[in-house]
Amino acid sequence: MLTKDKIKHFIITELIADGNLTEFGDTTPLIDSGIIDSLGIMSLLGFLEASFSVQISGEDLIPENFASIASISNLVTQKCSFG
Amino acid sequence: MDFDLTDEQKVWRETVIRFSRKELAYDIADFEKSGDFPWDAWRKCADMQLMALPFPEEYGGCGVDFLTTVLTLNSLGYACKDAGLVHALATQILCGLQIHLFGSEELKAKYLPLLCRGEKVFAQAITEPGSGSDAFSMRARAEKKGESYLLNGNKVFITNGPMADVVIVFAVTDPEKKTLGGISCLVVDDGMAGFEKAKPLKKMGLNTLQNGELFFNNCEVSSDRLLGKEGQGAIIFNETMEWERSLLPAAHLGTLERIFEISLKYAKERNAFGKHIGSYQSVSNKISSMKVNIELGKGILYKCAVLKDSKKRATIDASICKLFISESLKQACLDAVQIHGGYGFMCEYEIERDLRDSIASTIYSGTSELQHNIISRFIGL
Repeated sequence: MLTKDKIKHFIITELIADGNLTEFGDTTPLIDSGIIDSLGIMSLLGFLEASFSVQISGEDLIPENFASIASISNLVTQKCSFG
Repeated sequence: MDFDLTDEQKVWRETVIRFSRKELAYDIADFEKSGDFPWDAWRKCADMQLMALPFPEEYGGCGVDFLTTVLTLNSLGYACKDAGLVHALATQILCGLQIHLFGSEELKAKYLPLLCRGEKVFAQAITEPGSGSDAFSMRARAEKKGESYLLNGNKVFITNGPMADVVIVFAVTDPEKKTLGGISCLVVDDGMAGFEKAKPLKKMGLNTLQNGELFFNNCEVSSDRLLGKEGQGAIIFNETMEWERSLLPAAHLGTLERIFEISLKYAKERNAFGKHIGSYQSVSNKISSMKVNIELGKGILYKCAVLKDSKKRATIDASICKLFISESLKQACLDAVQIHGGYGFMCEYEIERDLRDSIASTIYSGTSELQHNIISRFIGL
């Protein structure tokens, strides 16, 4: 499964509380639409760090990096490439 | 996951216990009456470098791991009967962790040495009159004006607030954005124009701890005092809570161990109807439950500390830790009063103070109800 697909799968199954899947694409705003909230982001961080063996801390912990599937995927790719 | 303590950690734990029994054995009742803060004890703790433990040596810290810091709070909770002082120390360390994890090099260099030496008292201001556990519904506003923020609003119940020299203030910087992205953290010094502190509030317990209201009225804070980046406040808050919900329960677990030992001793010595009262199951069950909770509490507490030392997430673990240990402590204190009968109800036996102090542990740093909500979210409910 591709990075984007893995992230999307997690968001659909774990963060959309009522189970009513709304269609969203790679650039759909996840924070502004309320799909990711302040607690959801901690759950997402745990998933990203465990699934992709990366550490996300300090300056990377800004909302912009979690605004869409595309931006999350970019962050993960960036962290993976830095080892 | 390895929870074995090193020989150094075991020796350090004993050292902190000896220090507490010798240097922090003042008459708390006097301070409870006056409402004063035990400054001599604070300075002794600073001399012992207890506030400096987890911070790098370059900032005046000791550079020890988080598990050792947790063990230190645990030892203080066990051997120091002044839960207010221990809470004040934990708050100082937590503020330092926020600055260390998210502060600019300038902020770290300026504040961490003062914090480590205990020369300045630090506080974090989140709670407001209209927002407690629902912290992100805060109204305090930090409006960008050129190179500064204009801070307006009130904070309440702020630990160390009335005596704080430095306050980490959470405020809304962008009301249009949702919680994520709309809240930021600013470092405010006592004495800045537009910042006022009220007198300490009277409480049912933790009476040496200074809690109070803070007022910000057009307080101009330069943007280089921003902790992290603008809009990072909610993430800083959640990140900080993982450390806070490990440090505070560490002290609570220590107190629970003390309560257990006192109750066990009394149950072996006190006789009723020709037998020591510990031989009655209605008493022994209470004490065995304390022992069960101590062992279970140690497991989740050490797990949280090891996770944070490994730079891993501990959101759900820290919530479980905080919920379980604070509720266990409150129950143990109630049971200890009951086991001691009339003596337990008397101030002289000091258990009633532990009970009063323990009530707050299920409220601050997120109520038990909020911890259940967090745990529920993480298990998909």
